[in-house]
Amino acid sequence: MADLEGLTTAIEMGDRAAATRATQQAIDDGRNPQAILDAMTAAMNNVGGRFQRNEIFVPEMLIAARAMKEATALLEPLLVAADIRPEATAVIGTVKGDLHDIGKNLVGMMWKGANIEVIDLGTNVPPERYVEAARTHDARIIGVSALLTTTMTGMADVVRAVRDAGMGDVRIILGGAPVTAEFARAIGADGYAPDAGTAVEVVKAALAR
Amino acid sequence: MRHRDRVIAALSHEEPDRCPMQISFTPEFADRLRADLEARGLVTRSGPDSHNPHGGGNTYELELALDEDLILTSVGWANSYYQGPEAYTDEWGVTWRAQPYETPFGTGYYTEMVGRPLASDAAIASYRAPDPDRPELYEEAGRVIRQLGGEYYIVGVTVTTIWETAWALRGYEQLMIDLVTEPDIAEAILEIPFRYHLRAAERLTAMGVDMIWTGDDVGMQTGMLISPALWRRHLKPRMAELIARVKAINPAVKVAYHSDGMIWDVIPDLIEIGLDVLNPVQPACMDPAELKRRYGDHLCFWGSLDEQHTLPFGSPDDVRAEVRARLRTIGRGGGLILGPTHHVQLDTPMENFWAMVETILGRRLPAAAGTPRR
Repeated sequence: MADLEGLTTAIEMGDRAAATRATQQAIDDGRNPQAILDAMTAAMNNVGGRFQRNEIFVPEMLIAARAMKEATALLEPLLVAADIRPEATAVIGTVKGDLHDIGKNLVGMMWKGANIEVIDLGTNVPPERYVEAARTHDARIIGVSALLTTTMTGMADVVRAVRDAGMGDVRIILGGAPVTAEFARAIGADGYAPDAGTAVEVVKAALAR
Repeated sequence: MRHRDRVIAALSHEEPDRCPMQISFTPEFADRLRADLEARGLVTRSGPDSHNPHGGGNTYELELALDEDLILTSVGWANSYYQGPEAYTDEWGVTWRAQPYETPFGTGYYTEMVGRPLASDAAIASYRAPDPDRPELYEEAGRVIRQLGGEYYIVGVTVTTIWETAWALRGYEQLMIDLVTEPDIAEAILEIPFRYHLRAAERLTAMGVDMIWTGDDVGMQTGMLISPALWRRHLKPRMAELIARVKAINPAVKVAYHSDGMIWDVIPDLIEIGLDVLNPVQPACMDPAELKRRYGDHLCFWGSLDEQHTLPFGSPDDVRAEVRARLRTIGRGGGLILGPTHHVQLDTPMENFWAMVETILGRRLPAAAGTPRR
């Protein structure tokens, strides 16, 4: 029988070969796709916690996410067939004028790892594109990132655009080095995360509301 | 007191007549500052002065008018930033484009990297870095030492020493993945800028600069980017070699290390390999008073004024209070070169800038003609 604990470990260790092998083995053994997915999300959950505690760092996160991505690709057809869908969709992007994306990318990886569908708009994203994407994809979450004091002010424009579009129930979560919980509150955002690990807790809390 | 003596005293853990000050600016803030200084009669030349924040090609009028104590002269990859509003490729093969941003005080441009010469593995073996021994690279340093070194403290800048240039060449995420999956590739790439900047640091030291400023951003807001273990394996030995080699050339030369963000775990390592000055002390990430408590006997500090909140978004009184707090804590008994943690950006109100400068200098600068005094 496939060892799902081995799959969890392989993803946590960023071992893409072992992760895809373990996933294929589990599929071949006829394991329940939900159980396989749960083993994957458990891995990313552990990774997020360790990152929050500064036990692992960005390189380890990147390879864990890569292993998760490749393993998930194998599992995807079975998930679709079993109608196991992500629990929600999130749109993410870095604000207009800002080309920095490592933090945003890590959050995207962690949210995918938490079984949220992530539509990544990239960088230098004007407010109207967040709105359009949220509408198109029926997103419940918008994640906005900024690295710079000179661009973070644009986050207020995103909040305004989203509310003006009548999306009162879409939760807007902010992140980025100069961003603070205070700033997020002041501009009317719904949440703030200081790192990609915490971002999973914040998005889950936002979805539960 | 000569400007350079002020710095020497501070770095000898003595309190000079006032805390030494160093401030750099993004090009657009430099333009705004120049206009302000001209209105005050503190610079007389009008017209464009190309201001490179790291010192490549500057006339230093702004720094001198402000009564700064340190003059920066830069050799290396960091000079590739801010080379123009049009897209360009630097001599290392990195391609750049300008990204505009809006502030209440006008439009600025960051230069952002868009193309990496070593993105593909196949490109690594045949890659040749630029030559660090070209005499023209050192002409500015020579001029600065001759013309300003008698009065000012001269800093030879070789920042982005290893890690930052390496990720510019390879790609940010890819280099981090290399570190944990293909360490031989990572090593080959890290070696390239290290050899260049080591040579530049040696030559600048031999020419007589007072300090070599090195560094790489290895910290994030909440922790290190890469593990302390990886930093110790790949960056520490190279930094140790650089420090040893420049001090062999001139035992009195000081070495400063720049990293943004939080790097508590490797500060003992930096002390161990002979570092003199830690920069820029990003206060939202590492508490300046705590740094002084823990390491003030072994290290001096350079920077510490917050640019993520206080300088752009605080009030002038907030700025003054922060300067005074630094002087009382991390600057107590010397050991501090004070200034913002990075180039002053266009989103900084001039009132805040002057509050910072005047509080550090302990005096008001002449007002612009026709300006009512507070």
